[in-house]
Parts: sequence; C-alpha cells; structure tokens
Amino acid sequence: MNARRREVEMLLLTMFAAVPLYATATISFLPLLLFHAVLGGIALRVSTGRSPEIVPVSVVRAFAIAYVPFYIIDAALISRSAIAASTHLALFISVYQPIEERSRNRLGQRLLTTAMIFTASIATATHILILPFVVVFAFFMLRQLMSVSHAESVASIDSAPHELPTTRAAGFYIAATCSLAIMLFPMLPRVRNPIVPGMAGALNNATTGLSDSIDFNRERTISADSSVVSRVWMSREAVPFFTPLRLRGSVYDRFHNNEWRQAPRRGFVPVVVKNGFARIANASGFTRAATVQQKMILGSRLFLPAGTYAVNAPGVIYEGPPHDVYSIWQTVRSRDVVSYEVRLARTMIPLRSDAPQVTNYPVTEPVAAMARGIVGNDTDPMSQAGTIEHYLMTRFRYVPDPASIGRAITVDEFLLHEHRGHCEYFAAGMVALMTSLKVPARIVGGFYGGQLNPLTGYFVVRREDAHAWVEVWNGKTWETFDPTPAGFRPGNVHSGLLQLYATAISDSVNYFWDRYILTFGLGDQIALFADFISRVRGTMAMLRSTNARIATALASRELMITIGILLAIVAAIIALARRRRSLFDLLADRLQRLGIEVGESMTMEEALIELRRTRPDAAAAFAPLIALYEEEQFSARSDRKRRAMLRRALATAADF
Amino acid sequence: MGAPRDWQFNGVVRLTAIGTGFVLTTIFIGFAAINTGNNSLYIALAFMLACLLISGIASRGGLKHIRIELEGIDEAWAGRPASGTLRVENRSPIWNVRDVIVTGSELASPLFLPLLPRRKEVKAEVAFQFEKRGIAQLHSLDLYTRYPFGFFLKKRRVRLSGEVIVLPRLFGEHALRDRFTPIEGENYASNRPGSGSEIHSFREYVRGDSVRHVYWKKSAAIGRWIVKQTELDAARAVHVLVDPYKSRGASDDDFEQMISAAATFIHDALRRGLEVMLTLPRVELRAQGSEGALAMFRALALIESRVEPLTAVVERGTIVFAVRSGDERKTA
Repeated sequence: MNARRREVEMLLLTMFAAVPLYATATISFLPLLLFHAVLGGIALRVSTGRSPEIVPVSVVRAFAIAYVPFYIIDAALISRSAIAASTHLALFISVYQPIEERSRNRLGQRLLTTAMIFTASIATATHILILPFVVVFAFFMLRQLMSVSHAESVASIDSAPHELPTTRAAGFYIAATCSLAIMLFPMLPRVRNPIVPGMAGALNNATTGLSDSIDFNRERTISADSSVVSRVWMSREAVPFFTPLRLRGSVYDRFHNNEWRQAPRRGFVPVVVKNGFARIANASGFTRAATVQQKMILGSRLFLPAGTYAVNAPGVIYEGPPHDVYSIWQTVRSRDVVSYEVRLARTMIPLRSDAPQVTNYPVTEPVAAMARGIVGNDTDPMSQAGTIEHYLMTRFRYVPDPASIGRAITVDEFLLHEHRGHCEYFAAGMVALMTSLKVPARIVGGFYGGQLNPLTGYFVVRREDAHAWVEVWNGKTWETFDPTPAGFRPGNVHSGLLQLYATAISDSVNYFWDRYILTFGLGDQIALFADFISRVRGTMAMLRSTNARIATALASRELMITIGILLAIVAAIIALARRRRSLFDLLADRLQRLGIEVGESMTMEEALIELRRTRPDAAAAFAPLIALYEEEQFSARSDRKRRAMLRRALATAADF
Repeated sequence: MGAPRDWQFNGVVRLTAIGTGFVLTTIFIGFAAINTGNNSLYIALAFMLACLLISGIASRGGLKHIRIELEGIDEAWAGRPASGTLRVENRSPIWNVRDVIVTGSELASPLFLPLLPRRKEVKAEVAFQFEKRGIAQLHSLDLYTRYPFGFFLKKRRVRLSGEVIVLPRLFGEHALRDRFTPIEGENYASNRPGSGSEIHSFREYVRGDSVRHVYWKKSAAIGRWIVKQTELDAARAVHVLVDPYKSRGASDDDFEQMISAAATFIHDALRRGLEVMLTLPRVELRAQGSEGALAMFRALALIESRVEPLTAVVERGTIVFAVRSGDERKTA
C-alpha cells in the first residue's frame, strides 16, 4: 500500500468510524455532517495528490486553541453532555490531525483518535448491525496498524519502505482476533463498579405497548413495534393445547371515570414455593411444561402464559400489587431478560376460595337492554359469555388504527353507537355487558399469539402482539373469552414460506444477540462457570468409572492367563535366540576344523592371515565369508539379510 | 560495527508509543465497560484485548521459529565491512513474519527483512564488521520486530554458529601508509630462493613442488628427482620479518599497531606486484599478487604475542616489524 492510498484509507476509516453516530444520535446531526464533509474534502484532495490542507494550518491551529474553552461551553451549555462534547472534540481532533500532520508524524495518534470515535459510536448502539461494523472497522484498523508498524520499522533503520500487500494478512489477523474475542467476551468480568454506579444510563428506553390502565378519555393509538418481548418453548404435543399463546400481564377489574384500572392488592405477597416451583394455582387435567424467556418491559412483572399454575424462576415470585398478576424480585434491571420454567394446565383452579365480585362498571339501561337482547333467556354465565363473545365478534367492526375514529369514545358509545374499535373496546364492551348480567368478568392485558420460529422451535412474541381479552368467572375458575374478531387479533398477518424463514432466521440471530451479547451478564457467567465445573466433574466421574472398569477387566483370570502366556512366549523366544550360536562361533568352529584356533584376543582378519599361510586353498574360500562377517560386525547398522546369507554360506561351505 | 540504535534494548519485549496508547485506550474502555455494564463496550474491549494478545502471540510465534545460518563471508578485514550471506529460515507452520530487523555486534548495519513467509527461507546479503583481527566467533544475532500491529517491539536472540578469520586492520591514512611503501632497491643478489632468473641451489624434489621446476638433466644423472631453485630477484621482492615479541612495557595496542603496520606494508607491496616473503616464528610464507596473499594475511591474523624475541638471521634489505616499547617500531 503506497503512502497516498494509505492516507486516503485512513481518512475514510475515520469517516466510517463515525457513521453509527447518525443512528445512535449521541451527537446532533449538524456537527456530524460537517465532520464528514470536511474529512471527505480532505480525502478528495489527498486522493488527487494535493496536500490535505483544506484550510491553512495556522487557521486550524487557531481553531484548536479556541476549542479548549469551547469544549467547556459545549459541555455545559450547548450539548449539555460530557459524552457529546467529548465526541465533538474527538471529531475535531480527527480533522485537525491530518492537516497538522504535514509537519509531524502522527499516524499512531490518528489511529487512536479514530479508535476513540469508534468507541463513542458503538457505546450507545444496541443493534446487531454493530457487529459487522466492528469487524469491518477492525479489518481496516489492522491494515492501517500494519502499515504504521512497517513505516516505523523502516524509519528506525533509515531504510526505504516496501510496498507489501496487507489485505490477506489483515484478513488472517481479523479472523484470529475475532476468534479470540469471541472466547474473551464471555470471560470478561461483569462486575459493575460499586463506587460510581451508572455513569451511562440503561440502553433500552423503549416502553411496552401495555399501560397500567385503559383510559378511554384519551384517544388510543397503536404503533407497530416488532421488538421481541418474550420467547416460549414448549413440547410439540403441548402446542395444540396451549396455543395461541396468551401472556397475561395486567388485570383490569375496576372502573373509574371512564378508565379501567387494576385493583390493588395488599402490596406484594410472596408466592409459596413447593418443590422449587412457586405455586400460583391448582392444576386440573392435562399439564405440560414450558420455558419462557422474557424481557422485563414493565418493571419486574412477569407475563405468564395463560394456564400457568407454577413458576420456577431465578428469584422470589410475588403476587401483586394487582390481583392475579405476578412479579419477580431479583437483582435485575429493567432492561434485563429473565428466563423461567412454567407448568401449564388446561384448567386452573385459584388457590383462594373467595368468589370475585362483579365489576363496578356503571351499567346504563341501554347497555343492560343490549345484553339482555343478546343473551335472551339464557341464564348460564358461560353460555351468556359465549353468546356475547360471538355477538361482538360478528356484529362489531375491528379498527386496526383507533385514531381513525377521530375521537375518544366511551365503552357505551362503542356498544351502542360506533360498533367499531380495537381490542380494548371489544374486551371492555364484553365486560360491561357481563356486568349488566351480574356475571364477574374482567379485562386482561397482555400479549397474544406469537409466531413459531421453525428453526429454533420457540414462539416469538413481540410488542405489536399486545392484546386485551376477557376472563369470566364460572363459579370455580376464570375462563377466557376473546370478543375481538379472530382474524384481527395479533399474529394473524400471514406471510409466505420464504418470508417466514427469513423472519425466523432474523429472529434467531436477534435472539442470540439479545440473549448472549446484549444481556449477557454476571448471572450468565456464573451459570457458564457452573456448567463448566459440572462438565469437568462429569468427565472426571466418567473417567474414574472407565478406569474402574478397565481395572476390573484387567483383574480377570482370563486376562491374567493370556498375559502369562504372552510373557512365556516372549521369554522362550529370547532364550532360543540366546542359545543360537553367534556368527563368530560358527566361523571359529569351521576354522578350528582347518587347524586355526581362534582365541579370544584374535580377530577373524588375523585368523585369515594364519589360514592363508597354512591352507591357502581354504583361505581363498573363506576370505569372502570373513569379509562379509567383518562387514556385518563393523557396519553401522546390522543387516538381517546379510546375517542369514552368512549363516547359509557357512552351513553349505565345503570342508577342506 | 553499527552503533546501537535508540530502539535497541536488553530484554524480550518493549511497548512502543502506539502500543502504550492502545493499552491506555483499552484500559479506558475496560473501565467504561465495567462501570456501565454496557456489552457494546465489552465487545470493543474483547476485540482490543484480542488484538493485544494476537499481537504478542504472532510476534513471539513468528520470531520463535526463525533460524539463521551463516552461509558464507568474504575476506574480513578488521575495521572494514565484509559482505556475507545469511540464510534465514522461517520454520513456523502458521506465521508469516514481516518487518524483521536483524542486529548484532558483528553486523556493520542492521539488516531489514520485509517478509519471511512461513516454511520458507530467504538469503540476505549482509555487511559484517569486525574490530579485531584473529578468529571471530559468531555467537548470536538479535531479531527485532514490531509486526503485526506495532504495539510491541519484540526481541529474540538467535544462535549463529560460525567462525571467521579476521585479517589484520589496514591503515587507511595515506601518510601512514607511505611510511611503509616498499622502495625498489638496487639490483643485488638476494641470496634467497624465489622467483628469479639466477640459479640459487638444487635440492631434492618434495611433494608439492611444481614439475616445471624439476631439473631433468641432473635428475637423470643421479637417478633421483632434483629441483632447480632460482634466486629471488631483490628488486622485485621484499622480505618481511615480523617479530611477535612483546616486551613488558609494550601494550596490546602497540602490538596490534605493529601487526597492522606489517599487514599494510605487505598489502601495498603485493598491490605493486612485488613478491613478498614473510618470516614468522616457524613459518615462512611467500606471496605474489593474489597468490599466497590470503595465507600470509591469515598468518598475520592469527599471530600472537610472545615473551621471547625471535632469533633469526636478519639479512640485508629485510624489513623487520617488531614492537619494543611504547609505539616504537624498528626497521632494519
């Protein structure tokens, strides 16, 4: 990479580092745009071979001196935020440095400034897109660092720079860095500073679509929000019985001034725990288990699937303040996610035996007349509720956007005149009608439906799935009715298979991001560590068990006999080999027959000389054998074939 | 020998300026991450720590597998650069190493190796410089690298096995050299064997004698090979005697100066085309032009001081190099 290209890349990298600031809005739009415009101008000049001095250095220096008091003014009066003012300062420095660098070599400092801008960019970002942003930024950062490293190396020995390719090397190192970072991320300590807690606020400032009350005095609005509230896993055979999901979070059973409220209980009442499960009701009939992962969007309130009679959560479960609404008490903050197990039953019987009262909705005569007209002579509360539910579903029109009505309407107006509204009106209307019939009924707020993720097998419930329905007391338990037309309930937007899978993949990635990245905390680390210890223990136990089995097997009589036989065979082979006469002895024997006594201090070479003197004819025949023997004896490596050949030759050699 | 640069150090690793900045930034982001519990900052922190670790692992892993061998070195004169060849091999199966600087006390200047691909070797020309004559043992070289990211300057000392005979230092100043310029003397008989036209003596043929010098007529007459020796032409030859005696008052520097003086004298004489006969204790060497010169200078390179003066017959015209005391040199 030549110097000009490197300089342009560094400028573009600095510009790129600041791009997420547009989305996170850490600083306002104008300074960011100005920064990109100036740096873009410098990059353009440099790319055409001109100096980066888009404004004279003296002017930039004057600006730099003036920026010192301006920073304080910015932090105190303009931005009113130290983080925003510091980000402004980093942006200014990153513009100042390339202009100033004509006289000084500040490549390293410029990269650090770019790193600071990058940090400011991602500090307040929570979207998964920051991950590819980090990887791309890191790739070019590493490329630049390698170039700077090379430049410093050659400068240190007064050598000329080489144009080395850095793309492949940067690719290699970014892969290695990513792999290591993935391993490091869960291990970094998640212990928050106890001295200066919360210098930055919570990241999640979104609010739920649910509210503490249903206020019909104000015009109601619905906004689509696809952020995930909850994910629910349940076994395949449980799905037909417990879906569509209804996650209960609020119970509105008191009416006041055209507003439905949640009747307060006597504070928080801890739920009794039995066998690790907080028991909130008695089960009847078919039961199944499910796992819920829920984002804490309304304080510490749990959104339990309808049918839940027991909960196993990492904290104490409390009922209240409203009736039949549960919260978890643990050291979690509002943005945290909690996972818990629930037991579901087709029929739940409340633990309390006291019968609920009819709501205090002020029933007017027209409404009462309407209720009587709908149910006719039917006196069974459940039958009445069914009829009213069907009546509202079929005769009333669902309005997806309540704002289209143009004004706030009362429940009576909904029932008697408008005949249109959204789910809260349908639910409130049914409760009003049931109240007129003296049947205890209440509005339940929560989430409905959810979408099955075919890749992971869980149901995804989003904020836009917020819904209201009705529970009617049948004398023993609350039964669910939903007067909102089924086709207009949340989760009824059907999509093609491709879109379904695309959504599923997106949600799976988001789930992973939410669960294991954004909300990864100390609890997860402890769980991870505990899991690791457990696995190690398991492995050790398995090894011990395997060792014990091997020891038992070794101690068996059959194996001992086999080993004994093998040892005996080996000993016999060694003994036989030792009894086999050596080549020296064989040669000595043959020479003895020819009258040559080969003593201990005599070599075969000397014996051959003696043989040549006494028996020249025999010496001619034995000379090659003795040469072969000498070769075998003194060669660096013994040769089995050579030994065998010598033995054969000695055995077949003629007697003289 | 190149003077140590300001970046050279004793030890294994040193943080560079950019590395210091990076570490401080990492600490800052780490503090911010712990303080806020912000996992976005934890991602940045994990990346930065991974960068630091990879940087350390890569530079260590890269330098660890580098082997250097001395392939060859030209004539090495004390105080003068001598070009040599180093074979540098990167045996690492993983790491390509870049920007390696090789330094050493025997290198005239640092050697820069821009790229050492893994499992490859490169040959690099390098200038050696030795300060003293004699046998120089090459023990080690220092490898430095800032690669990959320039955070650390990593150093590793590699073994280098090699032995070089460093020839004596030659005086560079013309004035000093002129003192020892051999002057063509009168044309008198040198009375020494050498390459001349007059017959000096006959002797038995010994192994190594040129067949051209065999005196065939006489050999046939007496039945043994006889070699004819010619007499050294005095005008084209110079006889140098170096007495390695070092008196108590003389310093090592005086002795080295004397050797350098002798070497410079011989060097000049050979350059002028004279035949030089060098007499050292138990050694007598002859050289003309480049033939035999290296052996002569090697002998001077390896000569050591003695406590006893050399007892030899000094003939007329012999140039004697000796040190008595101080800087005194005597010629006869």
